[in-house]
Amino acid sequence: MAIPVIEIKKLTKIFETQKENVTALKNVDLTINKEEFVVLVGASGCGKTTLINTIAGFEKPTSGEVLLHGEPVTRIDPRCGMVFQQYALFDWKTVINNVDFGLKMKGMKFKERREIAQQYIDMVRLQGFENVYPAQLSGGMKQRVSLARALANNPEIMLLDEPFAALDAMTRQVLQEELIRIYRESQKTILFITHSIDEALLLSTRIAVMTSRPGSIKQFLDNDLPWPRDAAVQLLPRYLELKSAVWGTVQEEVMKTAGLLK
Amino acid sequence: MPNSSEKTFHALNFIKNLKSDLRVVSIISMVVFLTVWEAVVRVGFVTPLFLPAPSMVLEDGIRLYERGEIWLHVSASARRVLIGFALAGSIAVPLGILLGASKFLKAIADPLLSILRPLPSMAWIPLSLLWLGITETQKYSIVFMGSFAPTVLYTIEATRSIDPVLIRAALNLGASRMSLMREVILPGALQPIISGLKVMLGIAWTTVISAELVAADKGLGYLIMHGREFFRTEQVLLGMALISMTVMLIDIAFRSVEKKITPWTRG
Ligand SMILES: Nc1ncnc2c1ncn2[C@@H]1O[C@H](COP(=O)(O)OP(=O)(O)OP(=O)(O)O)[C@@H](O)[C@H]1O
Ligand SMILES: [Mg+2]
Repeated sequence: MAIPVIEIKKLTKIFETQKENVTALKNVDLTINKEEFVVLVGASGCGKTTLINTIAGFEKPTSGEVLLHGEPVTRIDPRCGMVFQQYALFDWKTVINNVDFGLKMKGMKFKERREIAQQYIDMVRLQGFENVYPAQLSGGMKQRVSLARALANNPEIMLLDEPFAALDAMTRQVLQEELIRIYRESQKTILFITHSIDEALLLSTRIAVMTSRPGSIKQFLDNDLPWPRDAAVQLLPRYLELKSAVWGTVQEEVMKTAGLLK
Repeated sequence: MPNSSEKTFHALNFIKNLKSDLRVVSIISMVVFLTVWEAVVRVGFVTPLFLPAPSMVLEDGIRLYERGEIWLHVSASARRVLIGFALAGSIAVPLGILLGASKFLKAIADPLLSILRPLPSMAWIPLSLLWLGITETQKYSIVFMGSFAPTVLYTIEATRSIDPVLIRAALNLGASRMSLMREVILPGALQPIISGLKVMLGIAWTTVISAELVAADKGLGYLIMHGREFFRTEQVLLGMALISMTVMLIDIAFRSVEKKITPWTRG
């Protein structure tokens, strides 16, 4: 039986700025069940980050509600581990001190938390950079630190905002496989944002396509591709079928954003 | 055929050479400036009473140095600056962090701060003389009043300048209010606070000089004033040159300390 973990009901978010009011989200309805891996795709500026920020408790809904295990989100909730689009690393902490931050906050002993942090640093292929400050890392390396930091904290729900956008194809593939492994081994519920339809098909159990701004969910697709999702999956007829379905919707919305279609 | 990495290497070398070339340019410009100045006085375009030649200022400096007076004046001013500034900083920085972190406390302090801020340290001199007389404490109090309010305001700014996404990240990783302060707000504000203190230290020097110009029996401000009273223009210029050099030295020292305290900043 599906147990809902995140329930978003008629969520609307309006940003009030001096110049104008920006409606980022309009009547978003989305339920994510336990152990689902939902990938959210949508044109740039359609409100994906805003949606994930509202779930994490960073932003308050203008109207509608966000429930976590049936309870409204009223503050920043550590049960939702966030990988930020802008990395959000602590510049004054070394890589390993960034990665073990959440464990330190839990009050874990130094030796124990170092061991766990080291595991995740190895996983994101940053061994040798433990004692380096973020200012000395490339964008892709910072992104991996940010991922390791969220994973080391072992949250029940993971919110990932374009976590692989700055990576080269090889590193991305390695980390996609690691994320799939973690997802398959743990009982995590994951919401993942990407611009890549291939990435969405590779990772998700369900794909949600957003409309252009003001964002709402335009289409849900159950991704029934078989596991393991290796390169061979991309050759299945079903893969192409799903891909063209998602692509059609996304393209329509991207063109709307560009003003080519009404 | 040179490959591209070799080309970059050449480019880097070129920049490095350019940097040392620029230093040579600076030295030449300094030498030319001093020579022209010296010549203008020696030739008799201006009288030494109006503007003494650099060599005369240097001579006066050597004379005072041999009598041990240079150190007396420099150390007197430096001590006043450092004590007054340390007192102001040790209260203003923690206060600024608190006010930067709490909107409520800031609302309480705002009226007082906005009255204090526009007052130049000179404006405090009469009152401080009335209360404390021509004493060392009076000098400290001038430096204190001159640097306190700007340091508080600067620290508030620095504390608020922390990227809100970092505060979100910390809370998302389970930080309590206390750890948020200790792990994120304090270290995040440290670097701008230190650069602010560097500017404030410069301001503290101007305040002590102004206090010494009005009433003192030693110090660089006194040296200048004393020179003026006895028509010894070379002593006036000597005092001014000493102020420049002392502030420059302190700035260099401050910068090396800064690098130790905030090792994560590049360059
Ligand atoms: N704090 C804010 N104040 C005002 N407007 C905002 C704010 N945050 C986001 N917006 C606006 O809301 C809309 C959605 O922004 P959001 O960052 O959610 O887009 P996104 O889908 O994540 O885009 P991208 O794929 O480029 O990251 C944009 O038009 C943006 O300008
Ligand atoms: Mg975004």
